[in-house]
Amino acid sequence: MSIRHRSVVFAAALLVAAACAPATSPGGASATATPSASAGGAASTLVWYADVSDLISLDPAVAYEFSGVLLAHNVYETLVKFEGADLSTIKPSLAQSWDIKDSGASWDVTFKLKSGGKFASGNALSADDVVYSFQRAIKLNKSPAFLFTDIAQLKAESIKATDPSTVVVSLPKTASPQGFLSILTFTIGGIVDSKDVKAKETGGDSGSGYLLDHSSGSGPYVVDHWTKNSEVLLKSNPNYSGTKPPLGGVLVKHVPESTNQQFALERGDADLARNLGAQQIAALQGKPGVATTSGNSLQLVYVGMNVTVKPLDNVNVREALRTAVDYDGIVKDLLKGNAKKVQGIVPAGLAGYNESTPFQADVAKAQSLMKQANQDKVTLELLVPTGPAPGGVAWADLAAKLQADWAKIGVTVNIKQTTQADLLTTYRAQKGQLVMILWGPDFPDPDANVGPFTDYKAKSIAYRNGWDDKIADKGREAALITDTSKRAAAYKDITDYVLHNGPYVILYQPTEPFGLRSNVKGFVWSPMDWTDFASISK
Amino acid sequence: MRFLGFLARRVVGIVAVMIGVSVITFAISHVIPADPAVAALGDHATADQITAFRAEYHLDRPLAEQYLTYVGGLLHGDLGRSIRTRRAVADDLADSFPATLELSFAALLAAIAVGIPSGVWSAVFRGRLPDFVVRLLALIGGSIPVFWLGLIVIGLGYYQLGWFPGGGRIDLFVDPPPTRTGLFVVDSLLTGDLTALRSSLLHLVLPALTLGYFSTALIARMTRSSMLEVLGQDYIRTARAKGLRERVVIFRHGLRNALIPTVTIIGLTFGSLLSGAVLTETIFSWPGLGRYATASAVSLDFPAVLGVTLLAAVVYPLANLAVDVAYYWLDPRTQRG
Repeated sequence: MSIRHRSVVFAAALLVAAACAPATSPGGASATATPSASAGGAASTLVWYADVSDLISLDPAVAYEFSGVLLAHNVYETLVKFEGADLSTIKPSLAQSWDIKDSGASWDVTFKLKSGGKFASGNALSADDVVYSFQRAIKLNKSPAFLFTDIAQLKAESIKATDPSTVVVSLPKTASPQGFLSILTFTIGGIVDSKDVKAKETGGDSGSGYLLDHSSGSGPYVVDHWTKNSEVLLKSNPNYSGTKPPLGGVLVKHVPESTNQQFALERGDADLARNLGAQQIAALQGKPGVATTSGNSLQLVYVGMNVTVKPLDNVNVREALRTAVDYDGIVKDLLKGNAKKVQGIVPAGLAGYNESTPFQADVAKAQSLMKQANQDKVTLELLVPTGPAPGGVAWADLAAKLQADWAKIGVTVNIKQTTQADLLTTYRAQKGQLVMILWGPDFPDPDANVGPFTDYKAKSIAYRNGWDDKIADKGREAALITDTSKRAAAYKDITDYVLHNGPYVILYQPTEPFGLRSNVKGFVWSPMDWTDFASISK
Repeated sequence: MRFLGFLARRVVGIVAVMIGVSVITFAISHVIPADPAVAALGDHATADQITAFRAEYHLDRPLAEQYLTYVGGLLHGDLGRSIRTRRAVADDLADSFPATLELSFAALLAAIAVGIPSGVWSAVFRGRLPDFVVRLLALIGGSIPVFWLGLIVIGLGYYQLGWFPGGGRIDLFVDPPPTRTGLFVVDSLLTGDLTALRSSLLHLVLPALTLGYFSTALIARMTRSSMLEVLGQDYIRTARAKGLRERVVIFRHGLRNALIPTVTIIGLTFGSLLSGAVLTETIFSWPGLGRYATASAVSLDFPAVLGVTLLAAVVYPLANLAVDVAYYWLDPRTQRG
């Protein structure tokens, strides 16, 4: 080796050595951290590990994916909200009060804003911002816009500011006022700073290019940066009018591999991990410095029974299939407890939830029902998606369990596994026989489930199973009831009816497991698929 | 001039490959029995929304027309818009490709640095313990699944020993260097940011070792076998008979001649590193092209899949071109045409 070559190698080695020398414990974020000014350092930042590959936009009028909704919820405030995990009572947020009035031709919902509301920019929050935000969501017409335009049947001119602190929204009499309030708790109801966003508009995009990866809200946090495929950093909003969040920042790190999430949690690099499987949760049990918890979701995993296919048109056959399933075995053995036994079409946590669970592997009763239907040997095809089902079990394993349960009553099931997109294409065209799939409501109101599950004309779940029943009329009526107790009673009747007559075997409602460091306090997971970062401390 | 003509022929070849790849990928991605509109819009979408989606992505047009529209965009540098991320595919690729390139370079460097000396060592000590060890490790490297290896490496290097970071390109609380090339190590050097350099180098170690193990094994085996062949040649005997030191015989007369097939393997390996990074990137949370490609394929995001495929169609021939240029330098006979 020549002297020149040697000196180059030596210089390179020196440079690498100099770069690596101060490292003491590279595994620990805090050990090697050079706190960036924006992050505020590890001690005051919540490090959240999750698979955020679904993240498309942080704009409240655009975000409709899990990660986008989680982040936008913590950046934008809404007129009304649900608190914590309770989705049965709507609480004030930016609006201090609201009133629903039947004005004959429409429902007029009047919101009175709290005084002193302020955006992160320092601009005052007024009724004009509310009108702009709602009209902007309608104009942009992105994924969540149907909640305003189809469900609430809102038009841009339906939203008016009558004074700087009063907003009146007029809904057609065919829309549900309670449903509308529930929609407003979702991120599409997030209020943006109209002055700021208008200034950032380019090419008539209503500021959506800017709000894709910036924020302009009044919530406890603001978006510091989003590095695509890597991380999003939120930092606390200095102009937040509510209680100052205990943590100055939230770093959402994209870590798709669940074992990696588990390792990072145990080593203290992550404070919270979202996508842990049953194996990782089991591995964390009893480990020092870590804890596990779970949160409810609003999803339901179910089997649709196409009533246009014989003998599924017979209500006794459908009841027999429901009766024969070992729900407890699914929840305890297959899902390791990561689910709740729910058999109605409204999930636990929502108003209108029916606690009744009358079915549990009663083979004798199921056989008797088959006999009443004059059926002894039946062969059906069960369509199943590929991959894991909510709760951590493979769809294929769930299907095998059902196959075994139904074989006991003379029903032979041929399992056909396919991609979810392919399955949905078949299901939508009413071409399935038995179809196993999941459903999550579009907005936190019983109508978001009762409508699709009962209304054939809505061309959703009831249609896919060919079930055109008069109960749909009662569903439509219940949606419009403004008195909450009367509404709850109406939904009780409807869910009781569907429980025994509908074309569904509701298998379970999954829960979502989380791993967290023991020093993390105040974490509550909402079934809306978010948490309030501002209530978390460590 | 002969070299320039050679280069021109290769560039024409790359364009031909791109056209072929685009036709095949386009055809495959449009005949698979699943609907991208349903995959993108999900269970809740109405028939109207699905129709609008098809119109937006030209899915309602005949396949040939769709292809021509796509190629028309390509000629203007437009790779289309990703269904999943809703961004320009070119922007997505620009974000994720440098990360994969950096990881692949690091893996390749590790593979060369370990593979060639191991192969030489193994050949020189043929039939003895070093040879046995190298061959055993090469056998393991050639057969071990990357996903499993990655978990073992991360479990040991990060979880148990805590010597290296567990994932990502840089520490959570270290700012990435200002972007010059998108390669963190290079950008850190260019901007003199030693903190970022240290962090990004440490973050490269485990994923590069994982990704590079297979290539290391391949290079070691190829170097060993070609060294064995070369060391049996008359000119090596002559060199020894001349009284040259054994080190000179092995490295100057043996290795240089033995490197030609190894260079071929290195070129091919680099291409496979780029495409094989999928699992490694997933395990190590590496925000690269592999993960982008996987997520795109799973969600039937055909513009993104096409973009990734076309990029690969450029990179592979470029890697081969680099191999040919290396030949040109290593073997004077090729310069004579």
